[in-house]
Amino acid sequence: MKILSVIAGVLVGAALIYGALDMPKWGDPHSPASSHVSPYYLRHSIEHTATPNVVTSVLADYRGYDTLGETTVVFTAGIACILLLRKGRKRQGKRHV
Amino acid sequence: MFDFIVSYYNYWVFIGLMMVGFYAMMAKRNLIKKIIGMNIFQSAIIFFYISTSVKKGGVTVPILEHGHAAHAADGLEHGAHAVDIMQYANPLPHVLMLTAIVVMVATLGVALAVAIMIYRRYNTLEEDEIIKLLRRG
Amino acid sequence: MILPFDLILVLFVFICAIAAITVRDLLSAVVILGAYSFFMCLLWTQMAAVDVAFTEASVSAGIGTVLCIGAVSKTRRRSRD
Repeated sequence: MKILSVIAGVLVGAALIYGALDMPKWGDPHSPASSHVSPYYLRHSIEHTATPNVVTSVLADYRGYDTLGETTVVFTAGIACILLLRKGRKRQGKRHV
Repeated sequence: MFDFIVSYYNYWVFIGLMMVGFYAMMAKRNLIKKIIGMNIFQSAIIFFYISTSVKKGGVTVPILEHGHAAHAADGLEHGAHAVDIMQYANPLPHVLMLTAIVVMVATLGVALAVAIMIYRRYNTLEEDEIIKLLRRG
Repeated sequence: MILPFDLILVLFVFICAIAAITVRDLLSAVVILGAYSFFMCLLWTQMAAVDVAFTEASVSAGIGTVLCIGAVSKTRRRSRD
């Protein structure tokens, strides 16, 4: 089992290395990730939201519904933890091993 | 060769951490160890996204310089103040990963709660012992 | 972005990751995972992602470690691998 998981990990690593060779270099200022959408946010953040911190303005203003969804995820996780860990009545048919 | 390794080094770090986490999720039998491996795996993915936001050469954090002052001085002429984009790091991956970190901790909490439930029921955390108990009925 | 400093941080991150999955004491593994999160946070400060860095330091290295220690204290501390 251990040998099998080592082999699977190395295979995944090899596939990722094969994919990484086509990626832009580290710190490339003209990479596709930093040349398409994010200049818009950097340019218009001050006039749209009057906030110098671009990360905060995108998080709370441009993508406010995204943050609302994130809060829903955290709320659901808390509810799930409470439901799992509460010390309630023992249910019928619970198996003790 | 050395130049090649250095210019792609974030991918090597990401792949190495991902392999460590993947191996821990598959090969370790203890459930808490599996959860630790999952945490390392998710951190590696966040590392990959953050490293795509780096721009070389005197790049600072994405907080606009003299932001309030420019806004006050411009008055009605909003947008007259041009922002040098090459000076700031790409803010978009930061925002997405800010969300991902919070979701990561939510996942961790639910996983630990499930592990505690399994311990209460089977009185062990080792995967093979749990499977043995399940097979015995 | 100072390359030698980055490389030292990456070395520490790898040491912490490998130590966290090899240590047999689960409480030590969880504390090493907290140290891993802090080194990751320093690495992101190096990459000019300060918002992500302080979210990681407070949420992942703080609350995550507390959750893990709570879980380990409710279950068994020793592990077989």
